[in-house]
Amino acid sequence: MVRFILKRLGFALITLWILSVIVFLLGQVLPSDPGRSILGPLAAPSAVRALDHQLGVDKPILTQYWHWISNFPGTSNQYQAPIGPILTSALGRSLKLAIFAFIIVVPLGIFGGVVSALNAGNPVDRTISVVGQTLLTVPEFVSGIVLLVVFAVALGWLPVTATAPPGSGFFTQLKYLILPVIPLVMILFGYIARMARVGTIEALDSDYARTATLKGLPRGVMIRRHVLRNSLLPTITVIATQTGYLIGGLVVVEVLFRYQGIGSLIYNAATQHDIPMLEACVLTIGVVYMLVTLFADILFSLLNPRIRLKAAE
Amino acid sequence: MSRGNSELDRLREGRTELENHYIDELASGNLNRRDFLRRGSMIGMSTPLLGAILAACGSSSKSTSAAGGSTTSSGPVTKGGTLRIGAVAPAAAVNPLTVSDAGGLLMLNQTGEFLIFDSNLKLELQPMLALSWSPNTDGSVWTFKLRPNVTFHNGAAMTADDVVYTFQQLSDPKNASNALSAFVGVLTPSGVQKVDAMTVAFHLEAPNGNFPYLVSSDNYNAIIVPKGTDFTKWQSTFVGTGAFKLGKYTQGAGASFVPNPNYWGAKALLDSTTFNFYMSQAPLILALQGNSVDVIAQFTPAGAAAILNSPSYKIISLPSANHRELSMRNDIAPFTDPRVRQAVAYTLDRVGAVAALLSGKGSVANDYPFGPRFKSTDTSVPQRAQNISMAKQLLAAAGHPSGFSTTLKTEIYQEIPQLAQVIVEDAAKAGIKISPTIETQTLYYGKSTFGNSDWLDGTMSLVDYGDRGVPNVYLTAPLTSAGTWNAARFHNKTYDNLVKQYVAALDLATQKTIAGKIQNLLLQETPVVYPYWIDGLTASTPNVNGLNPTSIAQLYLNTAYKSA
Amino acid sequence: MSIAEIPIEDAAAIQAGRHEVGSEVFRQLVRSPTFLIGAFILLVWIICAIFGSSIAPHSPFAQNLEGINQAPSSAHLFGTDQLGRDMLSRVIVGSRDILIIAPLATLLGTVLGTVVGLVMGYFRGIVDDVLGRFVEAFLALPVVVTGVIALSTLGRSNLVLIVVIGLLFTPLIARTVRAAVLLERELDYVAAARLRGERSPYIMFVEILPNVFAPIMVEFTVRLAYAIFAILTLTFLGLGVQPPSPDWALDISANYGVVPAGYWWEVLFDALAIATLVVSITLISDSVQGAIEG
Repeated sequence: MVRFILKRLGFALITLWILSVIVFLLGQVLPSDPGRSILGPLAAPSAVRALDHQLGVDKPILTQYWHWISNFPGTSNQYQAPIGPILTSALGRSLKLAIFAFIIVVPLGIFGGVVSALNAGNPVDRTISVVGQTLLTVPEFVSGIVLLVVFAVALGWLPVTATAPPGSGFFTQLKYLILPVIPLVMILFGYIARMARVGTIEALDSDYARTATLKGLPRGVMIRRHVLRNSLLPTITVIATQTGYLIGGLVVVEVLFRYQGIGSLIYNAATQHDIPMLEACVLTIGVVYMLVTLFADILFSLLNPRIRLKAAE
Repeated sequence: MSRGNSELDRLREGRTELENHYIDELASGNLNRRDFLRRGSMIGMSTPLLGAILAACGSSSKSTSAAGGSTTSSGPVTKGGTLRIGAVAPAAAVNPLTVSDAGGLLMLNQTGEFLIFDSNLKLELQPMLALSWSPNTDGSVWTFKLRPNVTFHNGAAMTADDVVYTFQQLSDPKNASNALSAFVGVLTPSGVQKVDAMTVAFHLEAPNGNFPYLVSSDNYNAIIVPKGTDFTKWQSTFVGTGAFKLGKYTQGAGASFVPNPNYWGAKALLDSTTFNFYMSQAPLILALQGNSVDVIAQFTPAGAAAILNSPSYKIISLPSANHRELSMRNDIAPFTDPRVRQAVAYTLDRVGAVAALLSGKGSVANDYPFGPRFKSTDTSVPQRAQNISMAKQLLAAAGHPSGFSTTLKTEIYQEIPQLAQVIVEDAAKAGIKISPTIETQTLYYGKSTFGNSDWLDGTMSLVDYGDRGVPNVYLTAPLTSAGTWNAARFHNKTYDNLVKQYVAALDLATQKTIAGKIQNLLLQETPVVYPYWIDGLTASTPNVNGLNPTSIAQLYLNTAYKSA
Repeated sequence: MSIAEIPIEDAAAIQAGRHEVGSEVFRQLVRSPTFLIGAFILLVWIICAIFGSSIAPHSPFAQNLEGINQAPSSAHLFGTDQLGRDMLSRVIVGSRDILIIAPLATLLGTVLGTVVGLVMGYFRGIVDDVLGRFVEAFLALPVVVTGVIALSTLGRSNLVLIVVIGLLFTPLIARTVRAAVLLERELDYVAAARLRGERSPYIMFVEILPNVFAPIMVEFTVRLAYAIFAILTLTFLGLGVQPPSPDWALDISANYGVVPAGYWWEVLFDALAIATLVVSITLISDSVQGAIEG
């Protein structure tokens, strides 16, 4: 088991290095003028050129790459401040939102999937399936806007923004996150429910389940003890691969609800052409994605007796 | 105004020629009270003196308050408490030399002070760290006497050395300070000279009648700092002479300030002030509505409908020179013909734009950079109004009876995308088909040099210009033949000469006369269309009083307090 | 084996590949209520897109600076926006850009994806492995984030939008086509064609392609919904369709700042329009999938 983890970790590190090279090259390809970004549009061209030279824009690529890596995450052009603290606090905020979303959507999705599977073929199943599929394709900003208009403006139950006033307690912060979390839940629900459904159907069909039923085990107990564990497996798969959609969703939701998370950060960095910030954000997301995948792999193999036993041999 | 003439004669004794000239103008009615106060204070006449002269002329000696200014209290003066202010986050590290954004300059004036304060609320130049100032005969040397017994927050006394150091750093091209936009061609480091421990003289490159404005709070980078200060580290100390000193500054989050017990003036009324930073205006407005802050430091009308239309907030509205310029390439057909340019100007519904885009918080502009903010404006020049048939006539006369097609480049910034759409729709009424490109500021400004910038190269280009205390920058950079921001490629020798004369003019009457000529010339040529001037707005909850904002987005809190 | 490599969607594709598109499928569709509802809604929007200028009560661009931010009334059923423009007209005409750009982008992605998928599935071996790595890499890219970065750099225009979305969808479609081709190539008619001496391109495009048409069609409808999703999202972020188009997402982006002031009509109707369009496409793709799978 430990060897398995170490091997995966090794692969991950190599991939991380390749990712850093790709991100760096991306930064080189995108047109930008750091001196101009920092000094603003009205500064004299000579001053801009001087600053560019100072920043090492004309040095060879390898030097620049090494400089970038050793100074990672570096300094933002637009904020002219170290990226590190900005990035970590933004990441923290996005994680709060993402974890909140997962806490809601995973049980909800699994529940929906299991119910679907137990009612396979009949209208309940169809409804959950169609609803899930539809929610997947409604853009987050659309559901977000409708939620805003109804719950925040018309009814006034919830705040219009996701950012709680500084120094707010845990539950206040949670209240501010309720509206933005819903669009995220909506786009993740469909896949999770579908995968849970597939997993549950397979599990219900398995020899083990049939044997247990024949032996007289109550259905509820059987579902809880055996089917659920096996339907979790494909679900974990989905959670890992859904990270991409989640991040895209974060960008939109954070912009709409004015939340300083990593999604907002990427958006601002891209539109303001703040290349160092963009590189740092993309690399961070790459790392998060890999970590999530790694974690899911490990969890999957822990839960899947076949792989666990094989690794133990 | 024949009453009190003997009193007036008494006051005239010992006054300089220039001062007497102003008194003449006031007495004959050429100068109204406000302008007299402003001009008089600019050449160093003290407030009591000005008041006495006004009284002798039969007017009340109380100083005026600006329209919409809320210096009236709505409660007893209560000391203490913390005022929470919401502001847009400074765009970069707070370095007095390089700050160029509203968030940053707001931070500068919390602890920093200037030689002179340009008060928008009272429409006059007030002594701050300089007690008095005067020009030599032709206005090429200005001498400032400093206020004694002023100490910096670090305990050191303020002397001429500090002032000299500050201005030498600001005017040195090597430092690439944002203040160079005011000083280039006007002041170089060698021109800043110490006369004695409490006196500094500025030897200018050329006579400049408006120089005091350039060292006033209008030049928001020009806060006085101790000699030898490392500006790149200023953010950690915020050292200055102001009524508040730094509590704590957290980049991207906020700042707090506490009263300076050794302040030279009236001590602050509050116990402390807290600034919360927001990334843009929209969350700022929401914060005020949600009661997370008591004051919003400065905002633009665009997108602020929620508080502008609500009776629950106090809005302070200051006339400012914040405006937009629609330039047309005078060297590209069909804009080579001034009739075509005038036609474009005649299609624009400026009144509607002010009402719709600014919620009325602004004023219509005529097609030149003189307006209500500047006392030298010749107000007799008629205001151009929308006139579609006139536009069509001009187009026909210029050989385009059915209009023409062209392109417009502009930026995503505040209400400008919508202004662009208004311009496009209005122009279409006369047959001019404009296809707009609205891009991010980075792409729009490009390298900010001719040939490398959509801003400067666009056939039509719509850009923002921030508020300044005098129109000098608007007259020179965008419109003179050598101007670095001349997006219109306007090259007119008569104009260049008039501007030179305006800049050198020392007294208001001359400035006004030249301004009138400039205004008429620009109306004739119309290289650039100026839709409107935008007010500087500050908002607060009703129990906040004593705010002292400027139209440049500074906010002085010395006299601020919260009533119960 | 890593989680990311399990081709879950291949299951559906493999099943779908077993059937052909024909008149029977069509008859099934017409009887399906989901298809009918979806098709009806889509038809309404298509009519709006084509005839919008004639249907709309006002010009979507006509400004009325004296009548801004007016609530819905008999004169303006959907109210007016911040420049006094009639919202109803804007919603009607706003359907046009998205109904042109999204199908084009999806078509581009489908065509490219089909070619890549055919090549990968037919040749297998090294070609498949190499292309497979690229496909994997592209799949990891979140569409919205990549779109944001690409469009910020390349500039916004409808052409760039179509190309970027199309390229981003190519690997997804390629993967499905590849799975279907993998199954088909084992069948007799392919072996027969090889024995006849036919060349590879012929076998791929003339023999195999018609038989994998079904999953491709399903993919097209599914991806169309995602294309609309992605394009509208990018437009909302200011990187898609450009002003002065009355596009729905663009209007939402321009007006949502004033929603707290109570001007809800300036965004709600656009949001509902988007929701109905997206739902209609989903219903259609769902029923097409069901009909083909039998």
